[in-house]
Amino acid sequence: MSFREKSAWITLITLVLLLAFYVTHLPPPWWLRAEAGGFLFYVLMLGVIAFVVIELIAHVIVALRAPREARAPRDEREQLIALKARSIAGRVYAILSLGSVFMVIHLGANDGGILYCLFLSFVVSQIVNYAARVIYYRRGV
Amino acid sequence: MSTAITNTIRKWRFERNEMTQQDLAERVGVTRQTINAIELGKYSPSLEVAFRIAVALGVRLEDVFSYGAEPREAPR
Repeated sequence: MSFREKSAWITLITLVLLLAFYVTHLPPPWWLRAEAGGFLFYVLMLGVIAFVVIELIAHVIVALRAPREARAPRDEREQLIALKARSIAGRVYAILSLGSVFMVIHLGANDGGILYCLFLSFVVSQIVNYAARVIYYRRGV
Repeated sequence: MSTAITNTIRKWRFERNEMTQQDLAERVGVTRQTINAIELGKYSPSLEVAFRIAVALGVRLEDVFSYGAEPREAPR
């Protein structure tokens, strides 16, 4: 498994953990009346900081095991995989963000709820991004 | 997912003193995994990388890659 594929796995797993953290701490009935600050801001920031720390540590460990590969620029196959995966993720984000905003507005959510939905849409789209990369690395592109 | 482009990279590597995928990857300027994906038909390389592979193996492009037909045999 190449460094980039390991990196995609790490980010995918970390993002799934991040999503699980958010859904557990801010379950759907709550965010409809979330205030754009306070507890929402605290949970969002805690998740992002934990995500960055886990990503950093995991990538440093993987890079130390294959330093040459980690330093090497992406070759054409890896660039193509990243482009294709980002393209899918972009469409997913557009659909999810618009759909969720319309839905929460219809359900009577406030600014905090809309902010949270947009953030969750981004997290889900990034999960799709890295899941697509893993699939392309495994099955071919 | 497999491509319609077939290749004889493995055969030519064997002909070149059993050149490893890593050796070929370093000569071509791609990762070993990309050479492996090309050999297995999971990835069709760009024309430039295909030429670089042929040059690294010391053969012509059409000796290594073919489209929709069996590639030529490696010389004995």
